[in-house]
Amino acid sequence: MWKKMKRVKEFKSWKANETKQGDSLQGLIEKLKQSKDFVTYHHSGPTNCFLYYIKTINEQGFLHQSVLPILKNNALHTLDQIKDKIPVENITITSDLEEIRRKIMQGNIMIQIKVTDDEVLLIPAATVETRKVTTPEVEFSVVGPKEAFVESLDTNLNLIRKRLPLPELTVRELVVGKVSKTRVAIVYIDGIANMENVNTVLQRIGDIEYDQIIDSSFITQMISDNSNSPFPQLLDTERPDRISGVLTEGKIAILVDGSPSGLTGPTTIVEFFSASDDYYLTWHLASALRLLRLFAVIFSVLTTPLYVAILTYHHEMIPEDLMSTIITSRADIPFPPILEVIILELTIELLREAGARLPTKVGQTIGIVGGIVIGTAAVEAGLTSNVLLIIVALAALASFTTPVYQIGNTIRLIRFPFLIGAQWYGLIGISMCMAFFIGHLTKLQSLGRPFFAPLYPFRIRDLKDAFVRLPFNKQSKRPMQTRPVDSTRFNPKRANEKRDIDE
Amino acid sequence: MSKITRENEAGSLSIPENLLVTSSSAFFLINSMQVGVGILGFERYIARDAGYDGWISILIAGGILHILLWMIFQILEDSKGDLVSIHRDVFGKYAGHFLSIIFSLYLLLLSVTVLRTFIEVIQVWIFPRLNVWIFTFIFLSIIYYFVAGGFRVVVAICLISTVLGLPILLLKYFPIQLANVENLFPVVDHSLSDILKSVKTATLSFLGIELLLIYYPFLKYPQSSRKWAHFGVFFTVLIYLGSALVSFVYYNEDQLQHMIWATITLWKIVEFPFIERFEYVGIAMWVYIIIPNICLALWAATRVLKRIFKCRQKKFLWVYFFITFLATGLLGDRQSIDLLNKYTGIVGFYVLLYIPVLFILTKLVNKVRNRK
Repeated sequence: MWKKMKRVKEFKSWKANETKQGDSLQGLIEKLKQSKDFVTYHHSGPTNCFLYYIKTINEQGFLHQSVLPILKNNALHTLDQIKDKIPVENITITSDLEEIRRKIMQGNIMIQIKVTDDEVLLIPAATVETRKVTTPEVEFSVVGPKEAFVESLDTNLNLIRKRLPLPELTVRELVVGKVSKTRVAIVYIDGIANMENVNTVLQRIGDIEYDQIIDSSFITQMISDNSNSPFPQLLDTERPDRISGVLTEGKIAILVDGSPSGLTGPTTIVEFFSASDDYYLTWHLASALRLLRLFAVIFSVLTTPLYVAILTYHHEMIPEDLMSTIITSRADIPFPPILEVIILELTIELLREAGARLPTKVGQTIGIVGGIVIGTAAVEAGLTSNVLLIIVALAALASFTTPVYQIGNTIRLIRFPFLIGAQWYGLIGISMCMAFFIGHLTKLQSLGRPFFAPLYPFRIRDLKDAFVRLPFNKQSKRPMQTRPVDSTRFNPKRANEKRDIDE
Repeated sequence: MSKITRENEAGSLSIPENLLVTSSSAFFLINSMQVGVGILGFERYIARDAGYDGWISILIAGGILHILLWMIFQILEDSKGDLVSIHRDVFGKYAGHFLSIIFSLYLLLLSVTVLRTFIEVIQVWIFPRLNVWIFTFIFLSIIYYFVAGGFRVVVAICLISTVLGLPILLLKYFPIQLANVENLFPVVDHSLSDILKSVKTATLSFLGIELLLIYYPFLKYPQSSRKWAHFGVFFTVLIYLGSALVSFVYYNEDQLQHMIWATITLWKIVEFPFIERFEYVGIAMWVYIIIPNICLALWAATRVLKRIFKCRQKKFLWVYFFITFLATGLLGDRQSIDLLNKYTGIVGFYVLLYIPVLFILTKLVNKVRNRK
């Protein structure tokens, strides 16, 4: 709290300083001159004027080709004359200091006739360094489009617009962050998306008061309905095809300048387990894979707690034949099951964290070294049992099947409360822990819509694309979750018209 | 339709639209409240009087329950309120509130009974040296988390508990393989009075429909909820009937009298290649059946108080939690728990008896008012 106040104070003093120094154009120029990349240039010749720009965010070629030749070849005496001659749009003449400051920081070229003038001409000539559109790395898919978002908002919007070429695709833009002045775009399809959802998003983003928005994950944490929940309440994706897919379902996408991932909402817990691949495969395969993923998640969360619960309290549950296997593998282990599990789980978490932080090539090596060497050594040293090693490795593997990275992290974390529950009250403890999480999920909301749908509230229409994905001709309606204005995708009667034999 | 309801008195009845629940919720609400800890060991009690004809008494009790449910809906539709407003209209302010408070206390007693009995099951079957105080505290904290979330969360828990409970029913397949169907024959070899005695016992297993009197205003479409509520009772009767029949064909009559928890004992014979002694899993899954029971009872109990006194429901919830905590912790031995169950049964029986009385009274009051 105190820290926050201090930060606010610092920020205020900084802001006051800014206005004091920059309350005149001269002051602003003086301040900018302290930076090496700010260029002041007195242009003499037929046109006598001063040019100012920050060369690191300016497109130099544009200056050389479109601005300087005109100044050199014509005798221009007023800003209006210059404006008429320079062949670009959006040139402004202004004396508004706030606007000048903003535009110059965005990469405009400022032209002044006399040093004492208050009125200046601003020519947009910004250049933004971005990387090229590449293949998705977090949400990889075997089939389907292979474009991923980059750090430029305009490129990202381009990737969406080219998939949805319709005038109803609306892009609202807000500027968030006192210092970072980040552009945040809210994208939706007018006529499908529910305006209530749009307004919720606009209002929540508009209310954000923070100094910097570096990534879209800042927005997720700030506008989510319950920020104390480990579950992400907005889905983040780096795939433009996924975003355009959910936009047509009536959801809303949020894109942040400088972030290579977009957010979509209102979302549900089951959406986190669906991959974009699911729509590119036939529905039988897609459904089977979805069920597999669901099973994997349950397996990943519950197996180690079950191991602890059964071996600590309920040995009777293990059948005789299986018991002998477990006894042989655990005979030399000096630790109780819980300690054994925690050691191994921590090892896996360490490997994961190290693998994520290290450069790709070293990371792979670490994975192999850690997985094989440490695992085998731990078993041979008698610290953990073979059976547990298999279980923990499988559980870790299973947690990677989630198509969305954020929920994978959540699953990683919630395993530990279950372990504590298992150690404390055995199977009952696991049940109680599970009940708690189910209750938590039913309480959660995503943009004011229930997060645990379509399970609760129970919606049969939405179940068609939840745990299984039914064929496209069965999905004649958009999901109820988003409360779309226009809920019909197509006319099911026409689509399902039966043809008789040999027609 | 009379205009008995007077709103804006002590806790308004107008419930915001976004808190209302769908009609099908009635099914889960009724069903999850009726199926509780009792189903784990009710076979012994109904077989005590009627022997293997106990299943007939379950059917009769089920029929009675349907009639009672119909009466409850009649009462509620006539008055368009809940129990508190009905009591106020029929008995006047003070007597009416007094009766409502007694109902609230009954629900508290019910939750104590359910919790204590369940903990006893855990003590007997899994952890003989369980620290009841700590366990109760943790269990109640989870329940507090749910109840504080409001009625919608409670309904969600009811729904999920019903769904999670379904796979447990499939376990009946194992005892059926070893069944002696001849046990059931000859059908109806007990006297009518024996069967009626057992009907009374069976009715007690079905306690829980009376909570409709409290949450009725939360149903979005009361008319269409009706059939769902009846489905709920029907489903409960089916579950009980199935459980009883399976126990009857599996155990012989003397053996059954010594089985305190016949259903749990049945789980013991379930065997898979990777797991056996299924009663541990069964009892662990029963947590999901118990939680909505207590949640709903405590929610309704405190809701009644909220409607009577102008005070926050959370405060009453704290008080009731404290009472439940103390009562559960202090009740120690098998005798007192058995006694608790017995008394709750008696009180519950009178509550069920009270429903027709209330039905007649509201009809009379309505008639008098309409004549004026």
